Amino acid sequence: MKRWSLLPAVLLLGACGNSESGTSAEALEELSWEEITAEAEGSEVRMYMWGGDEGVNAYMDDVIAPAVEEEYGIDFERIPMDAPEFLSRLMTEREAGSTDGSADILWINGENFRNAKENDLLYGSFADMLPNMEEHVADAPFVENDMGIDVDGMEVPWGNVQYAFQFRGEDNPPETMEELLAWAEENPGAFTYPDVQNDTGNGFVRHVIHYVAGDPETVSEFDEAWIEENGGDVWDVLRTLAPSLWREGETYPNSLEQQDQMFADGEVQATLGFNEYRAQSLIDQGVFPEETETVGLSSGSISSTHYVSMPFNTGNPEAALVVINHLLSPEAQIEKLNPERWGEGHILDPETLSEEQREQVEAYVGEEIVPAEDALPELDARYVDWIQENWEEEVVQP
Amino acid sequence: MSSRSAWLLLAPLLLFMMLFVGQGMFRAVQESLAFGGAEGMLVHYETLFASRSFWAAAGVSVYVALVSSIVSLVIGLVITRTFVRVFAVDTWKLAAWFPMLIPHFVAAYLVLLFFAPAGWAASVLGTMLPPFVQSSAYTGVILTYIWKEVPFVILMLLPVYQELDWRMAEVSRSLGAGRFQTFRHAEWPHAGPVAVETALIMFIFILGAFEIPGLLGVTYPAMLPVLAFDWFYQSGWSERPLAQAMMVLVTAVSLVLAALVLSWVRRGRRRSYA
Repeated sequence: MKRWSLLPAVLLLGACGNSESGTSAEALEELSWEEITAEAEGSEVRMYMWGGDEGVNAYMDDVIAPAVEEEYGIDFERIPMDAPEFLSRLMTEREAGSTDGSADILWINGENFRNAKENDLLYGSFADMLPNMEEHVADAPFVENDMGIDVDGMEVPWGNVQYAFQFRGEDNPPETMEELLAWAEENPGAFTYPDVQNDTGNGFVRHVIHYVAGDPETVSEFDEAWIEENGGDVWDVLRTLAPSLWREGETYPNSLEQQDQMFADGEVQATLGFNEYRAQSLIDQGVFPEETETVGLSSGSISSTHYVSMPFNTGNPEAALVVINHLLSPEAQIEKLNPERWGEGHILDPETLSEEQREQVEAYVGEEIVPAEDALPELDARYVDWIQENWEEEVVQP
Repeated sequence: MSSRSAWLLLAPLLLFMMLFVGQGMFRAVQESLAFGGAEGMLVHYETLFASRSFWAAAGVSVYVALVSSIVSLVIGLVITRTFVRVFAVDTWKLAAWFPMLIPHFVAAYLVLLFFAPAGWAASVLGTMLPPFVQSSAYTGVILTYIWKEVPFVILMLLPVYQELDWRMAEVSRSLGAGRFQTFRHAEWPHAGPVAVETALIMFIFILGAFEIPGLLGVTYPAMLPVLAFDWFYQSGWSERPLAQAMMVLVTAVSLVLAALVLSWVRRGRRRSYA
C-alpha cells in the first residue's frame, strides 16, 4: 500500500527533471513535524561517522538503532568512515551531480564543517525544524559557533567533550601543562601524541597554543599577527619536548588508535584524547589496565563540541530529521552518558529535564573529571590549519 | 588472429581502463595545473620541487622500492631454482604462494602485532624489541614487502624454470662451466627477461602503494603515497593540487621506466632467439 502511494510522487519528481530526489529544505519547512514523522516511516537512514571507538559504535548499534526502529519504523545504519574521507566522497558526488546520496546524516565539526559548508556539501538550515532543539538543547554559544565558524542552523550540537590525559602506573599524574612537560622529561619515552593530521594530535598542540598564550582571551579569535609573533614559542615548547618522547620524537603515532594500542601494551605510559570518560569502556573491556588514571589538566582543558548534519544529497531528509531529533532527545542524550558504552557529555539544558532525568544524569556523570572552570574554549579552525601546515617542518624534520 | 579481432577482444578492457584509469589520470592532471591564476600554470609543480618533504619522500620511496624489489627478486630466484622439482608437487607450490593471499594491509598489521617493541614477539621473549617496525630506515616496511613479494617472484619465474631445457645446463657443466657461468648462459637468457619485468612490476607497485608504509612508516620522511594522502586532506583541501601534481609525477616516472625496461627486455629477447 505504502509503496503504491509513493508512486505518483516518484513520477512527479521524475517529471520535474532536474529536481533533487529528496525534499528541499524550503519545502520541508512548510511541513508540520507530524507530517515529517509520517513521511519518515519505513525509510532507511545511513549515517557517516568515524568508527574508531567501540563504545561509540555500541551506543549507535545497541541504543539508537533499535530505538528509531521501534519508535519510527526507521532502519538505521552506521557507515564507519573518517570525516575527511566522506566529505571527499560527497564532493565527488556533488561534481558528478549525484542526487541520491549514499548517506543521510554526517558526524562532523570544526574544520570539516567549514570545508563542507564552503563547498556546498550540506543540506541547508534545518536546526529550527527540530522540536528537541527548541525544547531541550542548551542555549549555549556552541549552538551558533563551531570553532569560529557560523553554524547557521546547518548542523546541530550532539555532544560535548573535554580533552583529557590517561596515565598508567602513575601515583601522582601531572595536572597542569607545566607538570606534564616536566613529567615527560623525567620519564623519557613514556609520552607522545599522534601526528597532527589527526584531530587528537592537533588538539594536543592546540593546548600548547593555549599554554603559550596564557590567557584564553588572547586566542579567542584567530589572530594572525599573534600567531606569527608567538608561533615560534609554540614550536620551541614542542621541540624541547620531542627528545623525551616515545622514539625520541623521531616519529609519532599515525592515529589515536595506534597510541591507545601502545598504551594498552605498555609501550607508552600515557594516552590522551577528547572525551574525558572514554577510558572507562576500554578498562571494562580489559583493553586498558585497571590502574588507568584519567586527568583533565587544571591549567585548562579544551572543551569541544561535535555536531550532526545532513549532506546536500540525502535521499530521505524527513527520516534524517527524525533520527537527528531523536539523537537530541533527553533519553538518547542521557543514555549516551553511560560510561559502559560511550560516556560523553550531553548538550541538554538541565532546566528542561524532569526530576527523574536529572537524577539519571547525576548517576551517570558521577565525579567530574574536568570542572567547568578549567574548560578552555576550542580554538578557531584556522589554528588547526596553521598547526597542520607547519608542525612537520618545525618539529619533526631534523 | 587478425589484429582487428584482437582489438575487439581487448575492447572491454580498454574501455574499462579509459573510463576509470584514464578519467582518474585526467582529473589528476587537471587538478595539478593552475588555470587562470596570477601564477603560471605549473605553479604547483614549482612548489612541489621546492618542498623538502617531497624530496625526502621521493628519496625514501625509491630506496624502499629498490631494496624491496631487488632483495625479493634474488630470494625468489634462489628459491625457484633450488626447489623447482619440489614445486612440481602442488601442495608445496601453494604453500610457497600462500603469502600472496594475505592482503598487504593485513600483512602490515600482522608485522606490527608481532614485532612492535611491545608486541607478541616481545612478550614471548620477555623483552622489548628494538623499534625496527616503525623506523626511519623503513626496515619493517621492507621486510613486509619482501615477505609479500617473494611468492610473487616464484609465481612469475616457476613456469620459466619448469619449461627450461636442463640439458643445456648439463652440457655447460660437462664443458667445464662453473655454477655461475651455467646460470649465466643456460638459465638467465630465459629467466632474465621475466625477472626484470617482475622487478619492474614490484618497483612501480611499491612506489605507489599506501597500506604498508601508512601503517609501518614514520612521520618524516613519509613515503610518497602517505605524503599524498596527508596533502589530499590537509588544511581545507588547499594542498590537493600538490598531492595531484606529485601523483602525476609518480605516474609519469613509472610509465617512462616501464617503456625503457620493456624495450630493453624486448631487444634482449630478440638477440637471444636470433
